[in-house]
Amino acid sequence: MGAVSLSGCAGLTRRVSSTSSGSTDRVTMQVYGTDVETKVYARLAEQFSSERGVTVDLTVVPFADFATGVDAGLLSGTAPDVFRVDYPTMGLYASTDQLLDVTDPLEELAGDVRPSLLRAVTYGKRLYGVPQHVDTSALVYRPDVLRDAGVGAVPDRPEDAWSWEEFGDVASKVRDASPEDGSAFAVNWQAAGAFRWLTWLFMAGGHLYDEKLEKAVLDDDAGVRALEFTRSFFDNEWVPRSTSTKSPTYPDAQFTAGRLGMLFAGNFLVPAFADTIGDRFEYAVTYQPRDERRASELGGNAIVATRDSGNPELAAELLVYLGSSDAMKQFCEASVLLPTRESLAAQDLDFAVGGDLMGVYADQVSTIEDRDVADVTTPTFAEVNVDLANELESCFLGDSSPQDTLGAIADKVDAAALLNDGAAP
Amino acid sequence: MTAPTVAPAEVSPQGAAMTGSPGQARAAWGMLAPNLLLIGVFLAGPLAWAFAMAFQDKRSFGKGTWSGLDNLSRLFGDDVFWRALLNTAIFTAATVPVGVLLGLGLALLMNKALPGRGVFRTIVYLPIVVSSLVTSLVGLLLFDESVGIINGILRDLGLADVSWQSDGALAMTSVVVMTLWSRIGFSMVIYIAALQDVDPQVIEAAEVDGARAWQVTRRVVVPLLRPTTFFLVLVNLIWSFQVFDVVYVMTNGGPGYSTTMLVTYAYDEGFGPARNFGYGATVGVVLFVIIGALTLLQLRRNARAEA
Repeated sequence: MGAVSLSGCAGLTRRVSSTSSGSTDRVTMQVYGTDVETKVYARLAEQFSSERGVTVDLTVVPFADFATGVDAGLLSGTAPDVFRVDYPTMGLYASTDQLLDVTDPLEELAGDVRPSLLRAVTYGKRLYGVPQHVDTSALVYRPDVLRDAGVGAVPDRPEDAWSWEEFGDVASKVRDASPEDGSAFAVNWQAAGAFRWLTWLFMAGGHLYDEKLEKAVLDDDAGVRALEFTRSFFDNEWVPRSTSTKSPTYPDAQFTAGRLGMLFAGNFLVPAFADTIGDRFEYAVTYQPRDERRASELGGNAIVATRDSGNPELAAELLVYLGSSDAMKQFCEASVLLPTRESLAAQDLDFAVGGDLMGVYADQVSTIEDRDVADVTTPTFAEVNVDLANELESCFLGDSSPQDTLGAIADKVDAAALLNDGAAP
Repeated sequence: MTAPTVAPAEVSPQGAAMTGSPGQARAAWGMLAPNLLLIGVFLAGPLAWAFAMAFQDKRSFGKGTWSGLDNLSRLFGDDVFWRALLNTAIFTAATVPVGVLLGLGLALLMNKALPGRGVFRTIVYLPIVVSSLVTSLVGLLLFDESVGIINGILRDLGLADVSWQSDGALAMTSVVVMTLWSRIGFSMVIYIAALQDVDPQVIEAAEVDGARAWQVTRRVVVPLLRPTTFFLVLVNLIWSFQVFDVVYVMTNGGPGYSTTMLVTYAYDEGFGPARNFGYGATVGVVLFVIIGALTLLQLRRNARAEA
């Protein structure tokens, strides 16, 4: 009989792996996530344990600490057999040969996942993980606030998404109608979310890297336009100044507290909104604005196995199980996340809450193009993400001009790009 | 008035006071060994390793390669490093003197027979007992620009919000305030202990000579506390140069680089997404050299003052 053990938030002091060489009936797994997500992981681990007659040691750690713990584990040979990782960080592990090549075991999955999403877990044409889900942002808004501000119709079809100019007009109206401690909207680019600024770059028709991923190209007209527009969020006082890219807090608390009319928010927040907003006020979701094109960011997480796992066969089996249609469906429905399997994306999933909002998010995901994914999954993107946060804030809140800011980002991207050998398709 | 002096220990011509039997030496080494082992494994070893990494191009995975002075060269041309150094110096200049002086003032106050003295001492000392992470989170709760308690009170009073997080100077102020809050209790307790050792006869003599309360404090008590002040300045100096958690939690180094400190920068470079161990170690080594130099400077100043 299989068993699953769960250690909550073990942090960095606990050895997260109990992998022992030659053990064929035990696999260790480390995840992070919301309460709902970790409960589903525990359930899936239990199901796998029961079906296979093995033990899954499940450890839950905070997202902020997962990479430090995994790094230490990989260097000391105590890493978990299987762990959850975000797409921007995964490139580092794949490029440094830390992950188990699961191209063959995941052949069936690979045939059912959109190529652009499959690219997020591919390095040098080999597959290194299960793209378990994808999430992205859309514009959550309060119909009552927009109505009171005199905003007429809100786009309910992708083709009607507001242009940047139209969105600016809406933001000005909402700002003018807001109470003194309120703002028109906020963008979710704090903490490790600075890469969400790239959505505006993509909308303007720009990109971070050239097609070979060797050189930064964001300091072109599209980059300047994107940065000038996003900087105007602060200059026009559409957003609170405390919601810049290095803010230590997320803006969703301000939305749930009723201080914002609109919020660019990920679909993973839908359960939290249902809990914290309840019936206090009405909220809905619409498409992100558009410029030269529509765009959205690639969020989400993969499940990977370590190359030096003490039990690679069982680790690979667990990955196959978690990537199966049934497991992915359970995970996404309960956690309100979007599946990467095309066969599931085509179905009407029974999301635990906020199912009526998910259509917009699913549509936003469809705007993600191959080159957008390539930009945010290079081996060095995680450090580029930090540079983005630092430099963008200097422009949003400081004196740095858009041209100087883009130049500084480009210099850092170019320096880091030297380490991206092998990332190009 | 001169500081009390201690007569040197008498040493026999053969230096017998400095040596013992082989058995005593073995016992001494036996008792020292656990500490020496811990110091070697957790302090000297990592320190030597950090020095070695500072001269390598070393990322988290894969072997490092010797890169000579490349990291140092990059450091000297790195605007963020100089900004972090300046911020750390400003932070140190703001926290050390104020923290020590406030601690002295509170100690002088609490040293008197005030009603509820024990309760006040406990309240002031409490932040030291609590984890610094917790005090930092309290700081975030207080100074959050949008939903923080301080701006909430200001709004209730009909005043404008203060940009605690989006204005560089104010962000630094908030970090300094929380640091002082968590530190003055320590200075106070050490000063109170030192005040217990001040000879009442000396104070009485000064009073008999006509000195007023302020003059007694300024001319007699404070000079007698010089060794304690030296200790507190040194410890606070080192703590200020090592500041990390309060910045990490409250401002994340921002806005921009306004509150980025040397340690947060070293952490970001070494353990952040860049995982650039070599460069992170270089920042750490430079910090070590700066703290070492300042400590030596203080030791020499103190030795001159004592002489």
